[in-house]
Amino acid sequence: MSVAVAVTDSPEGRLALESAVAEAQNLGTGLLLINLTLHDFTEDEVPPGLEVTVINRSGRGDRDPVTAVIDELDDHAEVDRLVLGVRARSRVGKMILGSVAQRLILRSPVPVLTVRQDGR
Amino acid sequence: MPPGSPRRPSTSTASTNFELPHVGTGRPVHRLGVIATVATFGGLLFGYDTGVVNGALEPLSEDFGLTALSEGLVVASLMVGAAFGAVFGGRVADAWGRRKTILALAGVFILGTLGCVLAPAAAFLIGARFVLGLAVGGASATVPVYLGEIAPSEKRGSYVTRNEVMIVGGQLAAFIINAAIFNFFGHIDSIWRWMLLVALAPAIALLVGMIFQPESPRWLISQGRAEEALAVLKQVRSPERAEAEIAEVTHLAAEDAKEATGGLSDLGTRWVLRLVLIGAGLGFFQQLTGINSVMYYGTQLLTSAGLDSGVAIIGNIANGVFSLAGITLGMYLLNKQPRRVMFLTGYALIAVFHTLIALTAVIVPPGPAQAWTVLAFLVLFVFSMQGTVGPLTWLMLSEIFPMKIRSFAMGICVFVLWIMNAIVAQFFPPLIEALGMTATFGMFAGLAVIAFVFLALMLPETKDKDLAEFEREFKAEYGRR
Repeated sequence: MSVAVAVTDSPEGRLALESAVAEAQNLGTGLLLINLTLHDFTEDEVPPGLEVTVINRSGRGDRDPVTAVIDELDDHAEVDRLVLGVRARSRVGKMILGSVAQRLILRSPVPVLTVRQDGR
Repeated sequence: MPPGSPRRPSTSTASTNFELPHVGTGRPVHRLGVIATVATFGGLLFGYDTGVVNGALEPLSEDFGLTALSEGLVVASLMVGAAFGAVFGGRVADAWGRRKTILALAGVFILGTLGCVLAPAAAFLIGARFVLGLAVGGASATVPVYLGEIAPSEKRGSYVTRNEVMIVGGQLAAFIINAAIFNFFGHIDSIWRWMLLVALAPAIALLVGMIFQPESPRWLISQGRAEEALAVLKQVRSPERAEAEIAEVTHLAAEDAKEATGGLSDLGTRWVLRLVLIGAGLGFFQQLTGINSVMYYGTQLLTSAGLDSGVAIIGNIANGVFSLAGITLGMYLLNKQPRRVMFLTGYALIAVFHTLIALTAVIVPPGPAQAWTVLAFLVLFVFSMQGTVGPLTWLMLSEIFPMKIRSFAMGICVFVLWIMNAIVAQFFPPLIEALGMTATFGMFAGLAVIAFVFLALMLPETKDKDLAEFEREFKAEYGRR
């Protein structure tokens, strides 16, 4: 058993990480931290007090964050839950870019727990 | 940096310090010199092929009965080809290797040149120039990478600079050769075909020369061909250095792979999008300085201002000389002045000289006096542009993006830059014909002012900051909280 979290470079991403840490602590499992931002996580960014595996995105194969996450979930059969941060998006934003969260929800092999910030 | 010379400038330099023995002396150093000389024929061709229309265009235009609009198309088709060549050249070089790609490009240079020289009609010439453009863009993306990867780390900068100088030198060479051919053999029919044919010599030299040059060790490592990489390094380094360098090269190859990580979906991150828009703006405005209207149409400008063709084509050489002098100064200034100061000063000077050119056309009556005054301001514009905005745009593009999205972001900016280059090339002749010199250069002056405001408001300072520090600050200011 393990919890996976996809961390994007945004407030939702940080919230998802917090929630995933709480979830993993509740369940007493490890955390698979899939870092979708453009920088590699340093030691001090990794939550303490848990068994955390950090996966940084790297190389052309990880260009699409959705593929990057799905590939990791396929490689880590112990994961039985994916935590995602979501937010409401503007009409224009939806027209220009697809939603990473939506595609992940539709393609994830494991149940997805979505979290959002209050009042957003 | 040449006026419109998209390239992929950043081959990662070592961020980790590798203590390496001396490169060596004698044979390996000599071998490197030969490699650099051969590969920079790619830069020379880039310069010659973009500069040669400046001088060849008038006889060509007479031959084919071109209008201002179709003249523009003959010139611009090469830039459109180059936009695609620059974007896909890097991909091909990653898949096939640098050496094979450069060999293939030399072949395209030869075919494109022959196509232009033998063109039976304008439409054919436009197509052949597009093909030639693919090679120009491809060379702009591949040659600096090859040089950067095969040169020892402590000399990387100077090898890449050497290519820049060859590009501007190639343009100057085209101006001089055109002036000589036109003044001595101007009476011969279709003399422009001979001007274009000259480019065949360096293209053949590149093809034949590259056959004997080795593949980039860094690319070989990225393909898991470590033994071949070591064999290449042993040709171009002392034996101790070659062994020691394998670790560094392996590290750099891994860093390169990371550069291709980010893509379209990362533009959903607000601060990343902002950086990419700034970068695209840099390419956009660099071309709207009109630098290439001078590099492509300088001779025609001087003719229309009142010089005889034979004199105008000689006067145009001054543009090439000041371009080369400017770039030399610019390369020196890059490491001395803050980026923002240099950019803003550059665009301010550009606006001033464009205004002076516009005013000259009103105040000084047409004739040699007007033409020489215009030329004086033109070269001052070229010099200030090449001394600041020209090379700085490239440097900035290579250092503002987070490493993991660099390849994608640079691709967008370089594409925007070449397409703007093509648009300026396409519409400059009809604009001059329809509106005259005053309105056209007045417009360039206005665009330089807009560029000044855009950069003053948007451009972050990057000098003396390491990338991680810069990213943290920028993200803190413009990221979503």
